[in-house]
Amino acid sequence: MQQKDNQLEKLTAHLFRENAGKMAAVLSRRFGLEQLDTILDCIQDTFEAALTRWRYGNVPDNPAAWLMTVSRNKLINALKRNARMNLEETITTQETTTQPDFVIDEQHILDSQLRLLLACCQPVISEKNQIILTLHILCGFGLPEIANALRMQQETVKKSLTRSKALLRQQPLQQLTQASPIDGDRLPLVLTILYLLFNEGYKTTRKAKGIDPDLCYEAIRLTRIVFDTVTINREQTAALLALQFLTLSRFPARLTDAGEWLSLEEQNRDLWDQRMITEGFFYLRKATQGKQISRYHFEALISSIHCCAKMFGDTDWPSIVMLYRQLEQLHPEDASLTLNRIIAGSYYSDPLDCLHELNGTASLHQIPGFLLEAARGHLLQRAGLYADAANAYLLAKSLAQSPVDQCFLEKKIKACG
Amino acid sequence: MKEFLLLLRESTDLTQMTPEEMQADMQAHLQWMEELVQKGHFKAGNPLDTEGRHIRGTNRLVTDGPYVESKECISGFYFLLASSLEEATTIASGCPALNNGGMVEIREVIETHAAEG
Repeated sequence: MQQKDNQLEKLTAHLFRENAGKMAAVLSRRFGLEQLDTILDCIQDTFEAALTRWRYGNVPDNPAAWLMTVSRNKLINALKRNARMNLEETITTQETTTQPDFVIDEQHILDSQLRLLLACCQPVISEKNQIILTLHILCGFGLPEIANALRMQQETVKKSLTRSKALLRQQPLQQLTQASPIDGDRLPLVLTILYLLFNEGYKTTRKAKGIDPDLCYEAIRLTRIVFDTVTINREQTAALLALQFLTLSRFPARLTDAGEWLSLEEQNRDLWDQRMITEGFFYLRKATQGKQISRYHFEALISSIHCCAKMFGDTDWPSIVMLYRQLEQLHPEDASLTLNRIIAGSYYSDPLDCLHELNGTASLHQIPGFLLEAARGHLLQRAGLYADAANAYLLAKSLAQSPVDQCFLEKKIKACG
Repeated sequence: MKEFLLLLRESTDLTQMTPEEMQADMQAHLQWMEELVQKGHFKAGNPLDTEGRHIRGTNRLVTDGPYVESKECISGFYFLLASSLEEATTIASGCPALNNGGMVEIREVIETHAAEG
C-alpha cells in the first residue's frame, strides 16, 4: 500500500492564491510586464497541472517551489513558442527548462511583489481599477471572487482588467528591475490603495467568514510586504498596519449570526481578537518612534482608544474628538471626519449642541443622505426626543441601499418607539 | 477484500476555475483519499495525461485522442479495496469529482489466480 499521509498538511491556506501573486511578481520582474498575459496564462496552466497531479496524493514537499519552477518552465516554453522576443538577449544560456530547481530566496520574492504592487498602483489607472488589478495580479483573485468582494458585475471587472493590463504592458521593464524601485513620492499612492483595499473589505463584509475579510487580510499581507521592504517612511506604513490590525480585531463582534450590524455600543467586547490588538499595538509603537504623522496615525490612535475601553461607557471620548479635529485639519476635504467627530462628541457633551453643529455645517451635505439622517436620529435619540429621532431614522432607512443598513435602522426605529 | 478499478471521467473546464477554487477541489480529493487510506480501502491511484493515441484495426491506424473536451475522457483511476461491489459503490459515491459534473465507473478486478467460487 502506498504511503499517502500528511499530504494535506503540506498545503497552507490560500497556497494557490498567494503563490499566484508571487509567481506573477517574480516572472514579470524577470521577463517584463509586456509578457503579462502570457505570464498569467502560464500561472493558470501551472495550477491546472498541480490540481491534476496533487489531488491523487502526490503533493511535493515544497509546493510553493514546485509551482514557481513549473510556471517558469512553462513561461520559457511559451515565450519560445511565441518567438516574439529575441531569446538570446533575454534568456541566458543557463536558463533553460532543464535547470532542475528554480530556487528563489524569500527576499527576492518580497522585493518582486513590491515592484509589481508599485506597477499596479499608478495614477494613470483609477483608484478602483488599481484595487481590481492588485486583487487579480498580486492576490490571485479570480473574476467571480473580485466581483463578489467588490459587489460588481463580473463583466465590469473583466473590462476593467483588460484596460488596466493594457496600461501595465506599456510600462518599461526598467521599472521592475531598477535597484531602488520606490521613492518618497510613490509610497503614499501605494499606501492609499492598500488603505482603500482594506476599507473595501471592511465595509462590504456581510459575514464573519468567507471572501470579505479576505480583502482585509490581503491588504494586511501587502502592507506588511511594503513594511518589510521599504526603508523610507516606515512610520507611516507601520501606522497603516496598526490601523488595519486594530480595526480587524473587532470583526468577530461586528455582526450577529444573522448578519446584522452591531454598533460599538452593542458589541460583545470579549469577542474582540486580542491577538490582533496586540499586533496592532506592536505596529503602533513602531509608528510613533519618529516625527512623522499621517492620517493612518490618527485613525490608528482612535481605534486603539476603542480597543482599550473595557466597556463602551469607559471610552475616552474627549481624546477621540481631539484626534478627529486633527484629522479634519489634515484632510479638510473629508466631511465624514467632521460627522464622526460630532457623533463622538455627543457621548460626553450636550447632544442638542451637537445637533446644532450638525445642522449648521454646510460641508456635511457631501455625506450620503442615509448616514447623515442616521446621525441626526442618533443625536435626537440621545437628547431624548424619541419621536423626532424615529422620524430621522425612518428617513434614513428610506435612503439606505443595502438590506443590512436598512435592518440596522429598523432596530433603531423600534428602540425609539 | 476484493479489488476494484475506479475510472474517473471528467469534462471540467479547469481554465474557468480560480486558484482558490482549484485548491479547494484538490483538498477535497486529498481529504477523501486520506479517509480511504485510513480505512484501508486505498491501493493506488494516478491521473492520466490528456494527450494520447488511439490505434485501431488490422492496419494499425493511429489517431490522436482521447478528446479532453468530451465526457468520455478518462482523467484518472484508482484501485480500491472493498468487500463487495456495493461497498465499493458507496465509497466511490464520496469521490469529489462527482461534485463538478464528473462520472465514476466501478469495475471489479478479476483475481485470475483465485479458484472460481
